[in-house]
Amino acid sequence: MNNIIKLPLLILILSLSKNSSSQDHILLPQIERYYPTDYYTTLSFGLTNPIYRDFATSPLFYNGIGLESSSASLKRSDARERIFEFGFGISAQLARVPQSNYIQSGSISGYGKFDIFYQELWKLEALSDAKNNTKIGGAINITQNIRANPGLQNNAIGLENISNLMASAQWTRDISRTEVKQLNLWLFKPTLKPVKRELRFLLNVGMLNFNYRPGYAYSYDSELNGMDTSPIQWALSNYKWSLNGWRLKTELEFLKYLSNGNVKGWSYVWEAAHAPGKFEAFQMASHQLKYTFYIHSEKR
Amino acid sequence: MKNLLLILSILIFSSCEKILFKPDLGSVNPLENFDYLWNEVDKKYSYFELKNIDWNQMKATYRPMLNDNSSEVELFEVLAAMLNELKDDHTNLITPFNISSYNVAATGAKNYRPRTLQDYYIPDAWRTGSLTHDFLSNKEIGYIRYGSFMSDFSDAQMDLVLERYKDTKGIILDLRENGGGSIFNVPKLLGRFAPSRTLVGYSITRDGPGHKDFGKKEDFYITPDGNIQYLKPVIVLIDKGSYSATTFFAVATKAFPNITLMGDATGGGGGLPNGGQLPNGWTYRFSISQLLDLNGNNYAENGVPADINAAFDWTDLTKDEILEKAIEELK
Repeated sequence: MNNIIKLPLLILILSLSKNSSSQDHILLPQIERYYPTDYYTTLSFGLTNPIYRDFATSPLFYNGIGLESSSASLKRSDARERIFEFGFGISAQLARVPQSNYIQSGSISGYGKFDIFYQELWKLEALSDAKNNTKIGGAINITQNIRANPGLQNNAIGLENISNLMASAQWTRDISRTEVKQLNLWLFKPTLKPVKRELRFLLNVGMLNFNYRPGYAYSYDSELNGMDTSPIQWALSNYKWSLNGWRLKTELEFLKYLSNGNVKGWSYVWEAAHAPGKFEAFQMASHQLKYTFYIHSEKR
Repeated sequence: MKNLLLILSILIFSSCEKILFKPDLGSVNPLENFDYLWNEVDKKYSYFELKNIDWNQMKATYRPMLNDNSSEVELFEVLAAMLNELKDDHTNLITPFNISSYNVAATGAKNYRPRTLQDYYIPDAWRTGSLTHDFLSNKEIGYIRYGSFMSDFSDAQMDLVLERYKDTKGIILDLRENGGGSIFNVPKLLGRFAPSRTLVGYSITRDGPGHKDFGKKEDFYITPDGNIQYLKPVIVLIDKGSYSATTFFAVATKAFPNITLMGDATGGGGGLPNGGQLPNGWTYRFSISQLLDLNGNNYAENGVPADINAAFDWTDLTKDEILEKAIEELK
């Protein structure tokens, strides 16, 4: 990882872990006693701009645009938060091929990914007050990519799994309108009612970074045995697990609470991962604009 | 602490992959593209030893033919010439204006003429999916032509074909000029002639930078396939145009005493190729594995010899001498 971010990340992680350990025995008993817990089911849809580079087959970045969707079960209180999310995305990717002065070549790839994300957060009193709520914790993020690029001949299919145990930090700022406000827009003088709103920022940093990448040279030699070969064995027979690389994910979300308890959210998600594998690295990043509808299901 | 967290978060949030990843390696520079391809082949190609190729010498020979100002056509010609030194039809350079290939079939005699078969042997042949077939020699022998392992056939289609010839003395399976295709179709076809699950060979794949670095042997099994088996004598016709999957098929037949290879040696193609892309966007492929027979020999890349040699006589186009010899053997 680039030295530019190594030091700040280290400081962040050390400071969060120190606060976390000092707060545990004070916070946990209070959660059950004082804080109401909201349960939500969320549905998200978004536009995404994925970028990837697979050095096993090409030195070129592939850049594209696609759709992402996810659904989650969220349990949230002032003191604690837990989310279990399943998502998938599809996109069409074009290779960033340098300009030719003869006949331009190009490659197109289909890119799909499946994500499972589980996260637990606990409130950090030292960094929280009436307007600010800071939580820290951990997350597990599992991503399975499926790529198809016919131009790569016998390596047209690319599969990789990137699984990470991540440190998480979340800052929520209450930006509610607490009083009736009247705007003066010349002909129109709309009245704005009080509304509960929040700005939420989430940061996930990979601590244990696993990836499942092809071996030294990969071909699908299990197909020699034809129908005796299970599809999974065929696809992954030359793949190997590695513990290396890094992964970062940030999300900035604006939340607007509705009178019926549901919530609307608009967010920008940025994510990047580097998976060196054993031999040749895979890199991916994405910029995502997302709308999330939180369906309030229960309050305790 | 609060401010520090905020500053760090904004710093990380506003950063993007451009500062985290290595720079974009896309390039049209001829020498960079040459070096990239030479290195990839050096790291992963599987038949340097069998073919006695000095890859460093290839670099010394071909790299000086290029410079920073070489045109794309010049780059293609140099890279194609270097790759053709591998004498391997699983090795190609693919560009928008041309595709390089060695053309193994052209190194041997042509031994297949479809028109002779159609006019003088099987004028009323059935076409069942990708299989062309009919009786020969007063219904004593069945003839099946499978022109490409790229072409699929269903279990029901193969059941129908074998049911039709169940009372024959033997079957001639014509794989001449079958240039290969899906390896999946090898066990699917050969499994119809296999009495039991049989180990027929191995595959090894490059796993290190040394030209002799290979991973462990992967077993190559043929398992009986489909509802109907044909276990009487089978003669498989092969020639130099029988390549890749057909070479795999030919090696595998050696494990079955009821199957005989007839014609000319296959063209080879015993290495499974992988694919890749150059910094200028062109794509390529080359062999990264070796096919081994049951004794661990890797001759398949240079062609699987026939058990019985035969050749087409082009002075008489009314006769297919290879087919005639196969009929004679089965009678």
